Order: sequence, then C-alpha cells, then structure tokens
Amino acid sequence: MSRKFSRRSVLKGVMGGGGVGIALPALNMFLNGNGTAYAGEAAKLPVRFGTYFWGLGLTPGRWVPEKIGEGWEITPELQSLGGGLEKKVSVFSGFRVHLDGRPNLQHWTGQGAVMSGLAPTKIGTFDTSTFDLQVAKAIGGGTRFRTIHLTPFGNPKLCYSTATGTGFNTPETTPLALYEKLFGAGFQDPNSPDWSPDPSIMVRQSVLSAVTEQRKALLSEAGHADRQKLDQYFTSIREMENQLDVQLQRPAPAQACYIPEAPPETRPSGRIDRVNNANKQMAELMAMALACNQTKVFNVVHTSATSEAYLDGDSKIYHLHTHDEPVDPKLGYQKVSSQLAELSFRGYGDFLRALDAIEEGDGTLLDRTLVLGYSDTGYAKIHSTDNIPMFLAGGAGGAHKGGMHVASNGDPVSRISLTAQQLVGVPVGQFGVGSMMTGKPVTEVMA
Amino acid sequence: MRTNRMSHLASAVLAVSGFIIAGCSEKAAVYEGEPGVVNVRRVTETQYRNTIADVFNDNIEIRGRFEPEMREEGLLAIGSAKLSVTPSGFEQYFSMGADVANAVVSEENRSDLMPCEPTAADASDEACARMALADWGQSLLRRPLSEGELEAVLQVANNVADQSNNFYAGLSQGLTSLLVSPDFLFRIETAEAVPGKSGKVRLDGYSKAARLSYFFWDTTPDDELLSLAASGDIHKPKVLKAQIERLATSERAEHGARAFFSDMLHYDKFATLTKDPQIYPKFSLAVAESAKEQTLRTMVHHLITAERDYRDIFTTRDTFLDRTLAAVYQVPYLGDGDWVAYEIPEDANREGVLTQVSFLSAFSHPGRSSPTLRGVAVNEIYLCEATPLPPANVDFSIVNDVSNTELRTVRQRLMAHSLDDSCSNCHDLSDPVGLTLEHFDSIGQFRTMENGEVIDVSAEIKGMQVEGAAGLADALKASEQVPSCIVQNLYAYGVGRAVEPSDNEFLNQQTKAFSKNGYRYPALLKSIAASEEFFHFEPLSPGALQSAAQHQSQGPMGGQK
Repeated sequence: MSRKFSRRSVLKGVMGGGGVGIALPALNMFLNGNGTAYAGEAAKLPVRFGTYFWGLGLTPGRWVPEKIGEGWEITPELQSLGGGLEKKVSVFSGFRVHLDGRPNLQHWTGQGAVMSGLAPTKIGTFDTSTFDLQVAKAIGGGTRFRTIHLTPFGNPKLCYSTATGTGFNTPETTPLALYEKLFGAGFQDPNSPDWSPDPSIMVRQSVLSAVTEQRKALLSEAGHADRQKLDQYFTSIREMENQLDVQLQRPAPAQACYIPEAPPETRPSGRIDRVNNANKQMAELMAMALACNQTKVFNVVHTSATSEAYLDGDSKIYHLHTHDEPVDPKLGYQKVSSQLAELSFRGYGDFLRALDAIEEGDGTLLDRTLVLGYSDTGYAKIHSTDNIPMFLAGGAGGAHKGGMHVASNGDPVSRISLTAQQLVGVPVGQFGVGSMMTGKPVTEVMA
Repeated sequence: MRTNRMSHLASAVLAVSGFIIAGCSEKAAVYEGEPGVVNVRRVTETQYRNTIADVFNDNIEIRGRFEPEMREEGLLAIGSAKLSVTPSGFEQYFSMGADVANAVVSEENRSDLMPCEPTAADASDEACARMALADWGQSLLRRPLSEGELEAVLQVANNVADQSNNFYAGLSQGLTSLLVSPDFLFRIETAEAVPGKSGKVRLDGYSKAARLSYFFWDTTPDDELLSLAASGDIHKPKVLKAQIERLATSERAEHGARAFFSDMLHYDKFATLTKDPQIYPKFSLAVAESAKEQTLRTMVHHLITAERDYRDIFTTRDTFLDRTLAAVYQVPYLGDGDWVAYEIPEDANREGVLTQVSFLSAFSHPGRSSPTLRGVAVNEIYLCEATPLPPANVDFSIVNDVSNTELRTVRQRLMAHSLDDSCSNCHDLSDPVGLTLEHFDSIGQFRTMENGEVIDVSAEIKGMQVEGAAGLADALKASEQVPSCIVQNLYAYGVGRAVEPSDNEFLNQQTKAFSKNGYRYPALLKSIAASEEFFHFEPLSPGALQSAAQHQSQGPMGGQK
C-alpha cells in the first residue's frame, strides 16, 4: 500500500512558496509590476448571504401580518423588525415541509427541509448537502473564509450547514472565539498603508502541499463511502489553501472596514437575555467581517430547535414551556412561550440592525446582504411543520424587494431557499427533492 | 461475502484453549474481495490526546477545539466512521498540529524527544530530520511512512530549515504536516491480499495492530505491535493471543476502559450540560467534571482493579469522592483535596452507578428531574433497547403543568400519558424505570418530597414490582439483557460499526463466555479481541473502486439539484 509522492511537485510546492526568513523581493511574483495588485475587485461592493435560525418557531396568531403584499404591519412577535427595518424584510407565511412519506422528525425536519431541500430520513443527519455551501461556492471566492458559522448559544453542535449530510460545520460559540477567528492571527487590515505578504503563509502552503500529494493515491484505494469522507477532508484543505492564497495578495481597501475591539471572555449561558447579548456582540463582529471582506457567507444558529433558553428566574426551559404550557383561555395562546418566541426572534432583528448600522457605498451593509431567517416548526406545541416562519432581509445588492408579505397555502419551504439563492446570484434553476423540488422562486420579492 | 470462516465452535475452542492448529491463521477473518481502504474513522478527541501524550509526552499541551462527534446507534465510536473533517475543523487541526510540533521541538522538550541531535542548529540536517520524522511518523500514522511520504515531509523540513537558518523550525513544519495528514486524523484500515490465496483479503497487520491498540488503550499502537505488524507475525494466533494478554494487563488498559465508558455513558453530554442556577446553585462545571470522574473511577476500580462482576456496578457501595462531590452528596469529606475512596453506608439510600450524580444529572432537565429521560437512558445504555421517537401532534400540557393542583408530582403528571395509546406504548417502557429514581433531583441530591407530596418510588417494570433505586438496581443486576448489552456495545465499539442481525450468533456466544467468566470485564475484552469477528470488515467487492471513482467525478454536491 505505498502512496507515491511526486518529488517534483513537492519541490514545486516548497520552492514556489519560499519560506521563513526569505527576503521579501522574492515575493513580487504575487504582485503586479509596481506591487499594487489587490485581492478581489476593489471598486465593486460584493453581495453577501447569511442564514439565521432560531428554535421553536413563532406562535400561531401572533406573528403573521394581516396585510398581504407590500407594507405589512408589525405584529406582536415581530416587534423587533419595527422602526423602519420592516421595509427591508419580506415575510413568508403558510409555507410548509412536504414530507413525502417520511416521518416528521421533531425539531429536525424543519431545518433539514429548508437547508437541504428535503425532509431528512434520520435525526442528526441530512440526506444531502445544504444550499448555503452552494451559495459560498458561487459568491464566496476572494475572501479569507468561504463561510463563517456561529452560535451565541455556546453549543458547538449548533450548525445546520453540511457538505456531506453527516458532518456539520463547527460554529464559533463565543464572541471572543469569533473575534479571534476573524481578527486574530492571520487577519490583514485591508486599509493598512504598509502591507507586505507574510512569509509564514508560504511555509504553511508547503506544509499543506506535502499532504495534498497523497490525495489521488488515497482516494483511488477507497470505496464510495470512505472516499466521500476523504474527499471532504481534502476539500477542507483546499479551502485553507484558498485562504492562504488570498492572504498572499494585497487586500483591496474596504471603506466600511474598521477593526473592532476584542470582546471580553464570556461563558455561554442559556438565559435568554445573555444569549441575546452574545448575539448582538457576534452580529457586530460579523458586520465587520463582511465589511472587511473576510467572508461573504455566514450561518447563525441563535438557539437550538429544542431551545434550552430560559427567562431569568424561571425553572423551565423554553422547549418545556412550549409543550407544557396550556393555551391561556382568555388570551388564546401560550403566554410564556409567546414571550420567549418574541425574545428568541429578537436575535434576528438585532442581527439585521447590526448590519444596517454600517454604512457602505450609498447604502448600508444590510442593503448589500441577504439574510434568510427561519425556524424548525410552525407551532412548537405540536411539532407542526406547517407555516414555518421564514423571512428574507436585506437588499442583496438591489435584487431583493423588501417589505413584502407573501402568504402561501402550503407551498414547500424550498421555494424560499431557491429564491434566496437566485437573489444572491447563484446560477440555479431548481432546488429540492421529491415534492419539495421546485423551479419556482417567489418572484414577488424580486426587484 | 464471508468465506472460509471457521465454525464458531472451532474459533471458540481456539480462543479458550489456546491450541494452535497449523494453518488456522490463514483462515481467520479472511474474505473475498479486493485490497484497498475498507474503513475510515475520524480519531476522537481522547484518541488524539492519548496519541500525542504517548508518542511525545504528556507535557505537550493541546489547545483548541475538536469538532463535535456524532452518536449513532448509541455510540460515538459508530458515528466516528461517518465523520469527516470540515473546513473549520481542519483549521483547528492545523493550529493544534502546529502548536504540538512547536512544543515537541522546543528547547524545553527537544532533549527528551529527539532521537538524534542535528550537526548544527542553524541549518538543515537531512539525516537527523529523517530519523526523527520517520520515527514520529510511524507512531502517528500507525504504519511506517513510504519513502515518498518521508521525502515529502523532509523536503518541507529541509527547505524551511535552510531558509530560516533553524533546523528545529524546519523540523516543526515537517512534523506539522504529519499531524494534519489524513492518515493521522483518520484511522484508515486497509485490506491486503492473503499470500497464496487468490481473491482473498484480510485486514493488514498495521490495521489489526491499530484496532487492538485503540480497543484496549484508546491510543496509537506501540513499537511492539508495529513491529509484529511489520513482520506479519501479528497474523499468527499465538502471537496475537500473547499481545492481547499484554494489552489487557497493561496499565494503559485503564485509558481504554475510560474511553469506552465515556462513550457508552454519553459523557459528551457534559460538554453542554447546564442546570438552572436559581434552582441548583450547587451545580457548576466543577461538579459536572467531578461527577464524570467519580463514575469512571468507580467503573475502573470495580471492573479492572478489583475485577468484579459487571452486574454489580448497579449495587456497589465502593466509590470515590472529592470535595466538590461530597458537598452535593452531603457527606463528610475526609481527604486532603484529592480523590479518596469512599464506601457508601448501608443506610444511605444510594448504591451503584445509577445513583451517582453523573447519571442523575445528565438525564434530567435543567430545572427538574425527568423519569422519562432517565428511563430512556437506562433502557438504551444498559439494556440496548432503543426508544422510538415521540409522535408528532401531541399535547403535552397536562404532563408538565406544575401548577395543576390535582397532579402535583411528576408521577401523577406522567401517568396522564397512559390515557393516550400513542404515548403509553413508549412511556410505559421508560417512565416506570425512571420513576424508581425520583428520590433524586435534577443534580442527584436525595429528597423524599416534591411540591408538598411524598414521592412514591414504586413501579411496575415488565410485570415486576420494583421499589426505588435499590429495587431497580436489583432488577438490572438480575436482567439477562444487561450482560448481553455490554457485549454488543463493546463489540460495536471495537469494530466501529453497528451490530447487525448476522452478528447475533457471535454475540450470543460471547455473552455465554462472559457469563462463564463470572462477568469479568477484562475477560470479555480479551475474548472479543481474540475472535475472528474482531477483525471483521466489509470487503471491497471487485469493481468497487472503479465505481467509486465514477461516483466521485460528480463531486460531493453531485446529488444537489
């Protein structure tokens, strides 16, 4: 079982990259004649994309606006989108998961259907990859990170982005960890006047090239399932190689970029106000990550689909409340659950506001971004996958017409996922599998 | 596709008696198929940590975050065969690898860890770098590096050394590339052609060495195993038997037991376990850590040090305490800060692992106990009985409404499940088991009252009247499923796949042997490892590689519309 290396290609990897302590003039090959070449295009502001998940949905009767079409009104659980932000947000009601005979896997089917385009067959895995990675493939180039994943809830298992359906991406779980990933070692200030390439990057490239040499030989010896795992591993290396390539180029100046201060170290907490505080801090960091061209695609999970968030002083977690709490006969809904729904959804509003606060070009960062907001259920009390609340927020560089309420009578949620992809410029005509497959984007929200 | 298998009887005789019949080695775990990669498992966090500590030393600090593992069919070990490395995970492995490599070549460690000294510290030294990287590489990759692989990492080391005028900087980079290579981050098992048997394959010696080493020690194979793999002697039953004995009786066997029980007992739950601080101010990260440690110490002492009957884990009064846990148990702590052995008094209302804080707190809600969670856990972990998912569209309000004046205790509220058939089918299996443990709150503190009512801990389990934790312990101790379940878990853990109906005959035979050995855990480990089934793998059928290559050309997103 020898895996042969090509000595020549190894040499190429190392020699082409120079090494520690090498004199800088040798690096000019990466720049143009006068050393002013930039990574990416300087003039054009990019379009960005994110997904934002919160657990346990919203309460029937408490969120769907009455008005259909343009100019929807603020409802009790959508308060956080008020104050003008609602003009940049489209609301989608009445969309649902088509199960195609598969079980309704509680607190799992919803996010699987939205992200992968079909109801998963098993809890813990999706049957195929998620569309955020297709978006990253299409628009994520030229930045240091193809995608960034985060959760203010602190649980490293909270991410619904997967290339294989089995291995899910790992999110950053605290503001400080996110800061270090984005602005710690390896960050290059795009607006710094005295940029020079970091020679240690080339050393890292040579380390990786010694590994990727094995790719072909190893893959040719493995059966299908093992091959998939190994291929995902090599794809991850390739992604790091792309990162290093980007870092060897002078970053284009970014007008809206400034380097934020490091947040203090915090321990994750399930208390909803603390979750929301961490969410705000992480939102501000992500805003700068986008403005500083560190990434163009991100995934946020505010709380898990079986949300363990709780109100200060309350012995029960949110998830228990949704199942325990009787419907208040006078109010006609579960009072505490609705309060927690509003507070959880507030995370999305806060996140959008952080993007909207950054001026970029002739608008705001949010105007250049599209953020899909979604949850796992339309009514947590009974695990319904009908009427899953979904939102699209931000201008997507002018492609998205915000401020619309689109009411459907049971169309598949995959229509929104398809719409999102098309709005940010992914060349895709259809999305989903089985009766979730759709070629019909929601054109009402397309500018 | 299994062929040439010796009969179970023959293999049992072989394992028990130790008689070696000439030619038998070639019959063991031989299948029809093609040589190639037959199993790829991502190393777990503890395997990574143990390996670094064993190959280098345990002063090497590993900072960083490991990607979450995945539990399948009750075990992370089964899930590890489904996992790959995501981009963010690879970044973490890269930075951990670079840190480890820097620490290994640091001035502080190099004199202990280097197999040679370079002729000069400020230039490359091919001979010394080769020696060091070949040596470390063999331990990390669980097989010798091919000449090509060695050349590749040497090139990195030599080039960096020359350009930075620092031998150790170069060596560190060469080592980093070993630490991020797929052969280190994954346990890649390969099948080789059996000499002289056309069309027949078996696990190669290095894959066998690794399977044994991770099973007994949760770490990379040591030099002795690797040299037996190199010579091919590992395929000889007599040699294998001696190795099994050596592995089982080594001090490191404790690592292996800790890894297995951490997996079986769902200790990954503790990474994110929270309790409501308003209700349980005593609970903290320190309590969670100590709770895990207490149960692991109890298990290791009971099963390995004292070699007692496995079924007695439910009733043992021998355990260990530190100051943190003594406070939760409300018993005096007589140590000087560290762990001390502790014998639970007979009248203490506690005995066995199910009444320890680890089990009681892991399977509770943040603010309250949960007979359902505990019952499901007992059924899944100790009896290998899976619980179906609850039905959708069910109104649970009545079960959990603590303000309901008629249904004050959890018991009364849970009993409401029996009113609904779709609920009672499963809850009748889990809830009675959990109800017997209701004398313990969400963090495992003893209590007799809940909301002003005396807690009733009697239950009917499978037609048997059971009273409280002691009754449950006795019932489990007497259950035939308990031993057969650990046999099943241990086998699945070792081979890294879920058991199948075709394994039943083998598992039954192992369970019988377990019983005959007085339910001694070390004997069970040895018996499983000595079986031909321990080296079982799913062979690559002829043409499988070809079709995998075609499949791959569509790319990982091939199925995406």
